[in-house]
Amino acid sequence: MATTAEQFQGHAEDHGHDHDHKPAFFARWFMSTNHKDIGTMYLIFAILAGVIGGAVSGIMRAELMEPGIQYLGFFSKLVGDDPSNFNATLHMWNVLITAHGLIMVFFMVMPAIIGGFGNWFVPIMIGAPDMAFPRMNNISFWLTVAGFCSLMLSAFVPGGTGMGAGTGWTVYAPLSTTGSPGPAVDFGIFALHLAGAGSIMGAINFITTIFNMRAPGMTMHKMPLFVWSVLVTAFLLLLSLPVLAAAITMLLTDRNFGTTFFDPAGGGDPVLYQHLFWFFGHPEVYIMILPGFGIISQIISTFSKKPVFGYLGMAYAMVAIGVVGFIVWAHHMYSTGLSVNTKMYFTAATMVIAVPTGIKIFSWIATMWGGSIEFKSPMIWAIGFIFLFTVGGVTGVVLANGGVDDVMHDTYYVVAHFHYVLSLGAVTALFAGFYYWFPKMSGKMHSELLAHVHFWVFFVGVNMIFFPMHFLGLQGMPRRYPDYAEAYAYWNHFATVGYMIMAASLGIWFLNIIYAFVAGRKAEDNYWGEGATTLEWTLTSPPPYHQFETLPVIEETAHH
Amino acid sequence: MKSGTYASTVSQSARALGLSLASVIAVAATPAFAQDTASAPAAAETAAAAGGYTPMTPTPGVGMPVAEGIGLQQQYSKIGEYGAWIHNGVLMPIITLICILVLLLLIVVAVRYNRRSNPVASKTSHNTLIEVIWTLVPVLILIGIAVPSIDLIAKQYKPAPKGALTIKVTGNQWFWTYGYPDNGDFEVVSNMLNPVTGPTINNGIRKVGSEPWDGPSHLEVDNRMVVPAGEPIRLQITASDVIHSFAVPSLWFKLDAVPGRINEKVLLIEKPGVYYGQCSELCGAKHGYMPIAVEALPRDKYDAWVMTHPGAKIDNPNAAAGSETDYLPGEEPAGAAPAADASAAPAAAEAE
Amino acid sequence: MAQASNAAERAKQSNRKVALVALSLALGMLGLGYASVPLYRIFCQVTGYGGTTKRVDAAQAASVVDSGRMMSVRFDANTARDMPWEFKPLQVKDSVSIGVRDMALFWAKNDSDKPITGTASFNVEPEQAAKYFNKIQCFCFTEQTLQPGEEVRMPVLYYIDPAILDDPDNKDVAEITLSYTFHLTSVGDAKTLDQNNTGG
Repeated sequence: MATTAEQFQGHAEDHGHDHDHKPAFFARWFMSTNHKDIGTMYLIFAILAGVIGGAVSGIMRAELMEPGIQYLGFFSKLVGDDPSNFNATLHMWNVLITAHGLIMVFFMVMPAIIGGFGNWFVPIMIGAPDMAFPRMNNISFWLTVAGFCSLMLSAFVPGGTGMGAGTGWTVYAPLSTTGSPGPAVDFGIFALHLAGAGSIMGAINFITTIFNMRAPGMTMHKMPLFVWSVLVTAFLLLLSLPVLAAAITMLLTDRNFGTTFFDPAGGGDPVLYQHLFWFFGHPEVYIMILPGFGIISQIISTFSKKPVFGYLGMAYAMVAIGVVGFIVWAHHMYSTGLSVNTKMYFTAATMVIAVPTGIKIFSWIATMWGGSIEFKSPMIWAIGFIFLFTVGGVTGVVLANGGVDDVMHDTYYVVAHFHYVLSLGAVTALFAGFYYWFPKMSGKMHSELLAHVHFWVFFVGVNMIFFPMHFLGLQGMPRRYPDYAEAYAYWNHFATVGYMIMAASLGIWFLNIIYAFVAGRKAEDNYWGEGATTLEWTLTSPPPYHQFETLPVIEETAHH
Repeated sequence: MKSGTYASTVSQSARALGLSLASVIAVAATPAFAQDTASAPAAAETAAAAGGYTPMTPTPGVGMPVAEGIGLQQQYSKIGEYGAWIHNGVLMPIITLICILVLLLLIVVAVRYNRRSNPVASKTSHNTLIEVIWTLVPVLILIGIAVPSIDLIAKQYKPAPKGALTIKVTGNQWFWTYGYPDNGDFEVVSNMLNPVTGPTINNGIRKVGSEPWDGPSHLEVDNRMVVPAGEPIRLQITASDVIHSFAVPSLWFKLDAVPGRINEKVLLIEKPGVYYGQCSELCGAKHGYMPIAVEALPRDKYDAWVMTHPGAKIDNPNAAAGSETDYLPGEEPAGAAPAADASAAPAAAEAE
Repeated sequence: MAQASNAAERAKQSNRKVALVALSLALGMLGLGYASVPLYRIFCQVTGYGGTTKRVDAAQAASVVDSGRMMSVRFDANTARDMPWEFKPLQVKDSVSIGVRDMALFWAKNDSDKPITGTASFNVEPEQAAKYFNKIQCFCFTEQTLQPGEEVRMPVLYYIDPAILDDPDNKDVAEITLSYTFHLTSVGDAKTLDQNNTGG
């Protein structure tokens, strides 16, 4: 945004040759130190994990289509449970919800949005040849993969009442300690350790890259907002993940070595675990959504052919969201018996977050205002994001109220809320980013038609899944239930139909990827035209294996 | 049908609105919760006191979810009515308007500023006034929400008055037990009734629907938690193994059962009835199969139920009530309960 | 050329510096995560957060004065699921004068055929009253061992600090509950492997 594509057109051509000294296959993909290759691997990994996590949610939606227990027995038998043991069958449900949560958070959204798009475009956008620590970048990726394997393995070892870890992604003690004997939960905790270590390394890498490797003239206040968003996210990772690591390590020692950090029998307090978990857990939700904010800002600006409205406000709104995100954690714990003053404080603090979030929503609209908007596929997804995120955001304001949360907490209302901001927010941002950058990364244009159809089918599907969950929650249906009273049947059935529609939209997406590789026309350097002004558009599509061997110089421009 | 359900929710909350508005205005901790309804029916039905106890037949749609419902369950406590008003009367309109505003702006932008209608993009990227407005207006809206919201929290935390009946709730994997320390310390074990179809959830427990008073499947239990209606009850909640959560949506009540400690909150049910809830904190395999059924009875019927338990005695909250608290001024000694028995009597001493 | 490699070397060093600062931030947070356990305990003891009572010695207890105002105190007893004890308060509630020492008795019986050692966790509700609840002597300060079939009466010596009368948060508190839960520490004479390094 700080510069124009034309300035670097000539420059990019210098690197447009094909003698890029790419290493051989194994060295290139398994020992990769190239930020673009690692980004690609992150994206492929995230897609694989997303398919598995999505399939898990498919099993869940199928089970919930009608009251009673229909399919859990089959899947519990599949991982080695005794089919006559009804508790093991029910345990399977808890394994599914745990796996869905952990996969989607740690192995789909985070790898895709930070590991994938962050790795691909942060160095390019600031005019750096690569990340600051390319080898550490590689370690980060493989740690994430190892963590995923550990999580998958956990499903096939005993975890208490049945096979697998059935603690929920929150892993609350004492259900996760004395309540879940067997190695499954240990495998799950180990998965979080590995993924967490990978993410902390990634965060250090991004912070160093962004602080130290900006091209001449690329001041902090000229960085594209996507880079800002990744910077804030990296700090959130750096400050919150170690707290999770400490908490789950203490769980591990409570489970295996007789400590009593969270066990009242030895003077510990299970509620302390929840404080620690949510001290990480709340920033974590911003970790998932902030890079999405960044992507949306780039896209809105590109297709409105206007610079982002209120650039500084946008950047510092993200900083504010990040900072305030650290002091609101106990709004996840309103029903644990917090004292009245604590509850009042967290209610007030939580509502404060609505202000910077509102600034972002209105600034995006103001960016479009007066623009000359082209409704290309990324823009459609971005506009969808703004609306869906607004819906998810306002229910967050409802849930922020400690007194109202007494009836909402742990019901489907909460499930609806966080899926609107994550499944319909972060994931929509991911698809927006995918269509925005896919031709840049692959060199092939996708089909705009299929991308539009994908959007509309997806939009209808996810709204059908998640909107009725508000109704179910208001009516009192608790979350994490495999079975329910007859009164909840109608909207559950409706949501499952929505799931099928959403799943169909993913079929269209895969079709589009195949189309692009088989029949897609070659992507030009700047296929979105004049509105696309960040540095990636000065490079070829796909960019050369090594870009910016001579650093670009960003000149002073009149506006941000 | 759906809109009908919603309409009734709205009109009910509108009825609650008069009272709730008054309590918003009286932000100070004055006794905004005037107690007017509950004690009346109790006096009328003293006759049943002597005989045993037959479980109450629940009213369809009361204290339970309704099919295809889209709003909050009808509330049966003052806190619930106030909370439902904050949700239906304050939060819902505000968030709906915000969503509509954003949607409208997006439509306007799409129509007016697409490539065809506006071929040349402006380069505006600042407007201090508008930025100040969209920072300050949300702040004001949030303050508007915070005032009743904080007031609601304060009211929820008002401690129970002296002499309030205390009931002890313990969550277990996967059933609830209810202790009555003020009534001779007997204990009620409450298991979910087995659904008509599907595998047996609880061995030795009958199927739902086998007695005329059974409520909905998945919500009905063999032994309900019986409580007196129309008076504040001090609920003390704990767990014996992992964390559970005691939740009844139609009473606006949810409090975690944490092992190793008790949590306490006041429950006041305005009128007799059966109110269903479910465990609301993941507690293992049968988390979905440990519902809560609260049966609120008039005082005399409650006492009769108490006396069906061996070793039970009748507490006498009103006689013991000092006037130190102004929790429920209208409620104080409403007609005095029957048998007096100093509740502090060391009944457990003979256990020695 | 030499200049260029010098610059590259400088960039590397500067990268390392930033990374080290970031790493130490992360390690600092990791340390804070662990430190939160003792910090939380101290915080609870100081503020009464989570219903934590105060522990005082006899000398401190001697200095309080009778306020003449009465408070109702309720006693509650629980056992964890794996604990084969019966455990009850010998008085459901008591009326005490604020500022005056009083004693409550609990009764426990080992129903199993093995010696059982247990420890008690405790809290006070309403939570805001906890910091005024002072224990001079309590069975919860140490582990308790009961032989098979043995029963004991266990005393708690306590008083309520008259400062509670001046605390606006406590003006509506009409009854304070002191709750105990007994947890299994070890079975038999030998201690079981886990749970013996208790925090207290």
